[in-house]
This record gives sequence, C-alpha cells and structure tokens, in this order.
Amino acid sequence: MTSPTKSLFVQDERVKRRNAAEKRFHSYGLCAIGVAALALVVLLASVLANGASAFRQTYLMLEIPLPAETLDKGGDRDPAAMASVSTFGYAPLLRDALVASIAKLNIETTLSNKDVGDMISKEAAASLRNQVLANPDLVGGVIALDVLANGRIDGFFKGRVTMESAERDGNTSPEALRVAQLLADVGVLVTRFNWQFLTAPDASDQRPEAAGLGVAILGSLYMMLVVLVLALPIGVAAAIYLEEFAPKNRVSDLIEVNISNLAAVPSIVYGILGLAIFINFLGLRQSSPLVGGLVLTLMTLPTIIIATRAALKAVPPSIRDAALGLGATKMQSVFHHVLPLAAPGILTGTIIGLAQALGETAPLLLIGMVAFVRDYPAAYSETAGLFGEAATALPVQVFNWTQRADPGFVERASGAIITLLVFLAVMNTVAVLLRRRFERRW
Amino acid sequence: MMKVNTLIQPNPDMAVPKITARNVHVSYGDSVAIKDVSVGISANTVTAFIGPSGCGKSTFLRCLNRMNDTIETCRVSGEILIEGEDIYHRSVDPVQLRAKVGMVFQKPNPFPKSIFDNVAYGPKIHGLARNKADLDNIVENALRKAALWDEVKDRLNKTGTGLSGGQQQRLCIARAIATSPEVLLMDEPCSALDPIATAQIEELINDLRENYCVVIVTHSMQQAARISQKTAFFHLGSLVEYGDTDQVFTAPSDPRTESYITGRIG
Repeated sequence: MTSPTKSLFVQDERVKRRNAAEKRFHSYGLCAIGVAALALVVLLASVLANGASAFRQTYLMLEIPLPAETLDKGGDRDPAAMASVSTFGYAPLLRDALVASIAKLNIETTLSNKDVGDMISKEAAASLRNQVLANPDLVGGVIALDVLANGRIDGFFKGRVTMESAERDGNTSPEALRVAQLLADVGVLVTRFNWQFLTAPDASDQRPEAAGLGVAILGSLYMMLVVLVLALPIGVAAAIYLEEFAPKNRVSDLIEVNISNLAAVPSIVYGILGLAIFINFLGLRQSSPLVGGLVLTLMTLPTIIIATRAALKAVPPSIRDAALGLGATKMQSVFHHVLPLAAPGILTGTIIGLAQALGETAPLLLIGMVAFVRDYPAAYSETAGLFGEAATALPVQVFNWTQRADPGFVERASGAIITLLVFLAVMNTVAVLLRRRFERRW
Repeated sequence: MMKVNTLIQPNPDMAVPKITARNVHVSYGDSVAIKDVSVGISANTVTAFIGPSGCGKSTFLRCLNRMNDTIETCRVSGEILIEGEDIYHRSVDPVQLRAKVGMVFQKPNPFPKSIFDNVAYGPKIHGLARNKADLDNIVENALRKAALWDEVKDRLNKTGTGLSGGQQQRLCIARAIATSPEVLLMDEPCSALDPIATAQIEELINDLRENYCVVIVTHSMQQAARISQKTAFFHLGSLVEYGDTDQVFTAPSDPRTESYITGRIG
C-alpha cells in the first residue's frame, strides 16, 4: 500500500512486482525473436553450405579430334545421315582425348582406358554430338571443348567424395581421384561458375553433374505469368465488388465466409480440383504451365481477395465521402480515390499470394508437373497452345531431386532451394519498391 | 409532447425558400433519428443547425444532398424540395444533386493529391471545363472565393494534405464551390480547427452568403450567433425551434431552446 508519506525514491512491493513482470515479458520477447532468428540462420546456413557448390562445376578441357571416317561415313556432311551415329559413337572420342591428354602430361596411371573414360560425364558425349550435328563442318578437324567431369570427380573437388569413400565406390577409385588432382594441378581440370545449373534441363539419375534448373525456372516463370494475369484482375475485381458495391445481406455474408474458408483449404485439394476440371474435363495438357498456373490462380485468389478487401477497408471513409459529396459516382470514387490509396496493400497481398504460389509443390504433383522434362517448353506452340507444353517447376524440381539416389543431387536440390529463395527475395524487393513508389503521405 | 414549431418566418426578400422540407422522418434500422421535421431554408442566408449531440442535426443535413444514401439501413420519408423539386423522387440522380448541393465535412478531408487536383476534381468529373485554361480559371476562382489563393498560388502542385488544418478545410470549401453548387452544406466545419483558423472560416462563410445558400451544423452556439441569420434548434430528433438567429438566442419561444442556450441541457 502506498501511503502519502512514502518517498517516491522507494519502490513499493506492488510496483516492484509490476516492473519485474514487465522485464520478464521483455526477455520472453527477446527469446522468441532469438529462436526465430536462430532458426532462420541455421536454415540458411545449411542450405547455403549444401547448395552453394551447385553453382560451381568441374570441367575437363579437352582437345577432341573428330574423325570423319566414324562420324560421317557418307562423307557429304549431311546432318540427317550423321544423326545415325549415336552418343556411343562419340563417347570413345572423348575417352581417347582424355587418355591422350594424360599421356601427353606424362601422368603415370594404372587406370584402364575405360576407367579414364568414366572420369568424363556421360552427358558430355551427348553435348558433343549436338555440337557436331549443329555444325557438321567441325568433322575432320579438332575441337577444343570443356566437357563435364563425372559427378564423382566433381564431388571430389567439392569435398563430397574422399579417397576413403572412393575405395568402396563402384563408380570411381582413389587412383581416378589422384589422376584428377594431377590434372587439376596442371589446369586441364578446372572448376568454375556453373551457368548450366541455371540454364540446362534436368538430367537422368546417373548424371547429377548435368542436371540444371532451366526447364523448372521457365515453367515457374510461365506459371507466375498465368497467375498474375488471371488472379490479380479477378481477385481485385471481386474484392472491390464485395467491399464497395455488394449489398450487405445473407448471401454476401455467405460468400465472405466461404472465401475465408477457401484460403484455408489445403493446397493439394486444389491439385485434385485442377486434375478433375482442367485436365480430365476441359482436356488441357497435363504437366503444362497453363494448368499449373490455373490451379495456382485458384489457390491464390482468396489470398488476393482478402488482402485487397483489407486494403480497401483501411482507406478512410472520409475520402469516399469527399468524392461522393462532390458528385462523383460510386465507381468514380472507388477508381479515382479509394483504389489508388489501397494500391500498396493490394500489391503486398498480390506479392504474398504469388510468393506462396511460387513455392507451392503439392497441387503441381497431382497435375503431372513432377514429370522428367528434358525439353524447354515453348511459350506458344501450334499443337499445345499457350503455355501448353510440358514443364516442371522450381519447388517440384527440389522435391524431385531430393528423391534421387545419387548424392550429387543433394547439392543440386539445395542449389535449387537457393535459386527459389533468390526468386522470392527479388519478388519481395520489387514489392517493397513498388509500395514505396505508390505510397502516399497523409 | 409539445407541437413542433414549424413556423417559417417569412423573409421579405426571399419569398420562396430555396429548400423546403416537409414532414421528414429518418430512421437507421429500428432507431428513429429524425421525427417529422418541416423547415424552409432561404437562399443567400446562413442557416445554423444547433442542438446537443445525437439530436439529428447532422443526419438532417446529410439528407439535403442524400449523403445518407450511402448508409444502407437509412430510411428517409417525407419530402425535401430544392427549388420545388423533390430530391428523393425516383428520377433524381443523387450524383447530379450533389453537384448542385456541395458539402464540407467535419474533418478536413482533402484527397491525397495536389492542391490543384483537389479543386479540379469536381469540375473534371462534371465536365465544367472545356480546356486547360478554363480549368485553371475555375480552380483559381474557387481558391480565391475560399480565401486560400494567396497562400497556395505558388505551390498548387504540392499535396493538399501537407497544408495546415485550417488551410485544408478552406481547400475543402474551395473544392466544394468549384463545381458551382447553389447550396453549401457544412457539417461542423470548424470543430477540428484552432480559434484563428475558425475565425478565418467564419469570415469566409459570411462572404459565401452572397452567392450561396449556406447550411451549417455547429456545436458552438457562439458560432451560430456570430455567423448565421437563421437558427434551427434540434432536440431528440425533432425540430424544436426555428427562426431568426437574434430571436432564437434572445427570446426563444420554447423552454427547451432556452435551457439549451443557457447551458442547462445538451
């Protein structure tokens, strides 16, 4: 109890307890933030530690003779005829080039020629073949080419493969790693930035070194376009109608409740819906960014509607009154005054919705976007229409790679996560910048 | 219950009132806000609505340009005529009505746009200006009439929300008169302003009387006494007394009016 005679310099019991409670709450808050920050740091650190190496790749710099007698038996450099030589015809050329290179450098080795050939990625023969078919005049000469090293050799330089693990590994040997190290010392084997990771399509299970995100990035980009073009106008229009024009009665209450419910529906349900309606009923192509975009649009709509309604609600009614009092129609007051003021909020909601859509995996699995796609999807094709060609998406690619056996894919999956996070960061930055641009001072 | 005094003092200059209300009832859902109000408001006059909070004076004011239409539960019955035309008639478009009956609100509410755009908005949507020079003229005239021109003429492109409270309110008045209305409704326009800004607005209202029929709702009886020629006293949704300001303040005929202006109720 405070008595009037008590000094202000002395805290009484009650004040002490209140201050202690406040201090405790303060420390709880700090703990909560600390835990959240720590979780974020650990997550980012582990992803970066695992995935950063995906952006570097080991290449062998080879000079490869292209003998006309094996590659172009007809001798007329006709690509159609030359296409009959498969990658099996090219692989020995690469192997021989590496063997010759090792011999020239006076590196003593007990490796058989086949083992030397295995140091080169199986993907290399295909890319050499593609280059030759694209430019038949190369045949007969010697081509200097940087070819992918095998995933195990690549892993050795990234610390994933060691001499001890190579001992037990059927795909490589300590001797191969020793030779690779010697090649690296003289600069035949180099490690550099891996553009292919961002541009190349996916590769099969045995070739993690060749796997890239090209198709996934393109697919995600197409889907985001579809979502943006459909979800933004539909969502904003629906929100404006519901918030500004719709009469407040049972029906609009019901719609409101259901929109909130839709926002809480598990995303995989949208996948089932997409499968049933867009693919089975409407007959759109499975695995296509169009269907993926439509499904994600359905998923994003409630988010955008709710965010837009909140943004519209936040515009002070005095602005509406001012416009109406001047004789503006309802629509003029909304479009001239309310909407511009709500734009930053709408934008934020849209970006949150898009970010959610960009990271969504489950519904895409159901509509077949988990397929193994080697060809870049065209934005438009005669047979498949707009965004109709098979593609995959960034998060699905992560899911896909984490299921593969070769440890090389762990690094790829983490690298894909980094790419996804960079995409999200870029989107959020754009949102913040646009927000600043649109924000008005009061 | 006393009979509501609906006697309209005949003004020798203004034989026909600009606005005539007959038996107006307003309700929000189940609660009645205005009961059987009949009144005649003259042109070129400042008419003040006074009364305690919740007495329905603002509600009645908002009926005069149908701003109550925006409130879904609001029901208005009776007749409100402006120059003989019933503004609640089916074929009256409130949008057109509001161009004729401008409104200034309690809190200054300029659009977060430039000063010029604030004033130019009304003329633009009503197509009052044929070209840019025309629009410039309208804006300048409106700002001059609102006694704001000299203060803002060098910064017409600056945002209207950056002005002081009093300037913002005068900007809102300029915005309202830019559409050349005939009636100007003001809902406690000075309640958010300091005494100096209030004095400026009052002076402005006095000047506006020359060209407009001004109806003002105010909480301040001194303000009503200073600026109005006619005063209407509302109490519990009824119009208790209406007459010349001098008479209402010096010799009120209703005991409730007397109680209010002497500070015993309200």
